[in-house]
Amino acid sequence: MSGQNHEHHHHVSTAGQLWAIATGLIILTIVTVVVAKFVPIPAPFDVVAAISIALVKAFLVAAFFMNLYWDTKFNAMLLIMGVAFFLLMVLITLLDTMFRNDIVPSF
Amino acid sequence: MANHSTSHPTHVQHHFVDSDQQFDSAKLGMWVFLVNEILFFGGLFCAYIVYRAWHPELFTQAATELNAFWGAVNTVVLIGSSLTVAMAIRSVQKNQIKGLKINLLITIALAVVFMVVKGFEYAHKFELGILPGELYTYEGIEHAQAAIFFSIYYMMTGIHALHVIIGIGLMWWIYVRANRGEFSSEYYTPVEITGLYWHLVDLIWIFLFPLLYLIE
Amino acid sequence: MATAEVSNTRTLKVKRFKPSEDPKKTYLTEEKGLWSWLTTVDHKKIGLMYLGSVTLFFLLGGVLALLLRTELLTPAKTFIEADTYNQFFTLHGAIMVFFVLVPSIPAALGNFILPMQLGAKDVAFPRLNLASFYIYVIGAIFTFFALVNNGLDTGWTFYTPYSIESNSSVIWVTLGAFILGFSSILTGTNFITTIHKMRAPGITWGKLPLNIWALYATSIIQVLATPVLAITLLLLTMERVFGIGIFDPAMGGDPVLFQHFFWFYSHPAVYIMIVPGFGIISEVITTFSKKHIFGYWAIALSSLAIAFIGFLVWGHHMFTSGQSAVATTVFSFLTFLVGIPTGIKILNWVATLYKGSIEMKTPMIYVFIFLFLFSIGGFTGIMLGSLAADIHLHDTYYVVAHFHYVMMGGTLIALLAGLHFWWPKMTGKMYNEFQAKIGAALIFIGFNMTFLPQFIMGSQGMPRRYYNYIDQFTIFHQTSTIGSYILGVGFLLIAYYLLVSLFRGEKAPANPWGSRGLEWQATSPPDLHNFDHTPVIINGPYDYHKPMEEFQLGLADSGHNGHDPSHDATGAKQEVVSN
Repeated sequence: MSGQNHEHHHHVSTAGQLWAIATGLIILTIVTVVVAKFVPIPAPFDVVAAISIALVKAFLVAAFFMNLYWDTKFNAMLLIMGVAFFLLMVLITLLDTMFRNDIVPSF
Repeated sequence: MANHSTSHPTHVQHHFVDSDQQFDSAKLGMWVFLVNEILFFGGLFCAYIVYRAWHPELFTQAATELNAFWGAVNTVVLIGSSLTVAMAIRSVQKNQIKGLKINLLITIALAVVFMVVKGFEYAHKFELGILPGELYTYEGIEHAQAAIFFSIYYMMTGIHALHVIIGIGLMWWIYVRANRGEFSSEYYTPVEITGLYWHLVDLIWIFLFPLLYLIE
Repeated sequence: MATAEVSNTRTLKVKRFKPSEDPKKTYLTEEKGLWSWLTTVDHKKIGLMYLGSVTLFFLLGGVLALLLRTELLTPAKTFIEADTYNQFFTLHGAIMVFFVLVPSIPAALGNFILPMQLGAKDVAFPRLNLASFYIYVIGAIFTFFALVNNGLDTGWTFYTPYSIESNSSVIWVTLGAFILGFSSILTGTNFITTIHKMRAPGITWGKLPLNIWALYATSIIQVLATPVLAITLLLLTMERVFGIGIFDPAMGGDPVLFQHFFWFYSHPAVYIMIVPGFGIISEVITTFSKKHIFGYWAIALSSLAIAFIGFLVWGHHMFTSGQSAVATTVFSFLTFLVGIPTGIKILNWVATLYKGSIEMKTPMIYVFIFLFLFSIGGFTGIMLGSLAADIHLHDTYYVVAHFHYVMMGGTLIALLAGLHFWWPKMTGKMYNEFQAKIGAALIFIGFNMTFLPQFIMGSQGMPRRYYNYIDQFTIFHQTSTIGSYILGVGFLLIAYYLLVSLFRGEKAPANPWGSRGLEWQATSPPDLHNFDHTPVIINGPYDYHKPMEEFQLGLADSGHNGHDPSHDATGAKQEVVSN
């Protein structure tokens, strides 16, 4: 039931927390630029590095700016579900586009 | 939900039992909408991934036409605006309406800065003849599908920019309502859900930036 | 003394609220006039407005279908030009899919019933609900614009590259579908939120009516799939305006990618159409068997399972498109998986009938029609899902027959079941039972006569959409056409007696079928706020072994919604729900 947790109060972040998160995000932005421009990482792993940093940044925004860390679990689940279905779409599409050369060459 | 207050505060609509139910519903509804947004952009990301997997060399070549510096500046601008939105929500939670309004105005200003930078980036490319699809006339990239990369670029950043513009409108609307004294620590649902929307716009950009600007 | 786990901490005082058989005020009488309908935020009126619009579009799509069937009476030209025929074909498909099937059950019946089954006064966002209706209307207007302008000849699938080159109004129709998508998204968002946040005291997830579970699964699909359609159609529009080339082989793009995008929405969309039908079947079958549903959780969770698996199988529309062999194999395998939760449902419904006191009222007759037709549709779907068979059957009338058995034999028949089931609740009038049974018989005979021959000619190689055909198929086409006329007469009869019932129908009692569903504890037609009280639920929605009184409880001090708490409470019995 929705109304069971009447003792729950809306979470109020402190200004310090919010500034810390923003600072972290800016540092990570610098890191990702530096890694991409000045650290030579071989082909597929440069993308992996860039996306990993972006994921950390996304986590910070979602958890602390969007308050998911203190919110009901269901809202976080919705976000995860959205991402999961996006991945599903990409992975299954790649199953086609990456294997266009037929298994039976003469077919 | 069984707990029904004897008197309804004015902001609670008739079909809700209490303020909490209304707030939670609005927030849940917004999250469901954000899932929509993720899949809406997801289609574009999917196209991006498919084409990058097909033509990795195209992406390395074409990305050199994008200016990583201005991309990074815009990233920082958006992070800043996310911070001010979060601060705006904090202000209203603490019933500091002045703080709410100031933070909203800073957010709008940052969003405008983002759009201006974006505008200069676009203008520069238009001059070079880097336009989407058939309109593409630039000859600096030796690749048959160069036009498609920029089609994807324009679609992704264009739709993102459209979201920024909508966000500016929403922030303004919240500001006007705050001016009319509609919000307080008791009722700030529209501020909260507009904030969620704005953070999502930021989230999308966090991924667009490395995927478009930082390909080496 | 009734007890229930309403909450761990609270004790609720409840009493019995027997619905009045002769309500003084209803949602139809309280706010009157055209303007009150057009500006209403009442989910019931919005539901009825949807129902009206869906019916209009169904009429339009149906007339187009009859024209097409008439043209196919003879192997060569019968009475319309090939080009007109082609455009009619697309319009029939686009209208039936986007304007009828997608909104029919969730937006029309769902809107009306969902808040009532939850004991809520309205959906969570009533204004969004109204907005979604107008967005639907605007989308429809765009499509009409396209219709009168210069038609559409791409098929409802808008496949590239033809849709990039076609001179017909592709942009307008895609824009219409795009706008329509928003309507669908808003409805889905609204329903998910309502189901989560607006349930009356005592309605736990395990006491949710199966109709709600089905609508819940549907809403999840709407929310997850529709945005992908939106971006696909936007990309297609950009393709036509700027020639962005992503889907255009002439520019090095990939048309099959368009099909992936398109079917990522459109395959789940067929579950948007059918899953809410499953919900109606569950409600009707228990009511007319007077028996607890067999396998409540199996049915509830199989709806979610279908919703999930529905996202994994889109490539079975593309077996002959040139997608990779790896993908076709995986898609074929995954397609078979859909059969499992669907089979679970059918089994549980049939098991529900076992030893029930079956009452063959019209809605129940439609349930049996549904079970028969939908099973045929489902099994032929499995055949089409197997790779080798599909190479032969792809794009033949076999496919046409298959999806008509599923979409019409499934969704539309379920819609008819639901319409006949809830008609007394919605309008407060009873229809003529005898005429209704004749109508059902006509539909059943007409339907099978129309589509069974299509299986045969399809398997013999008759391609779909063709304007002409060779002589050997004449007998099948003619049988099919005659069947479609019978079907048309059936629908006209239904429209006739339902309209008659509005004016001359017998007054409906609050609960004509003796259902245990919460929506039947409101008056017929319901109050503007559905219930005068806050309903309290202690039993499951299908507990037919428990007395009716236990389903008529409400908070004893329901004064908070602005109504006199006791003006039609007959039992003053005070009960304390503890624990």
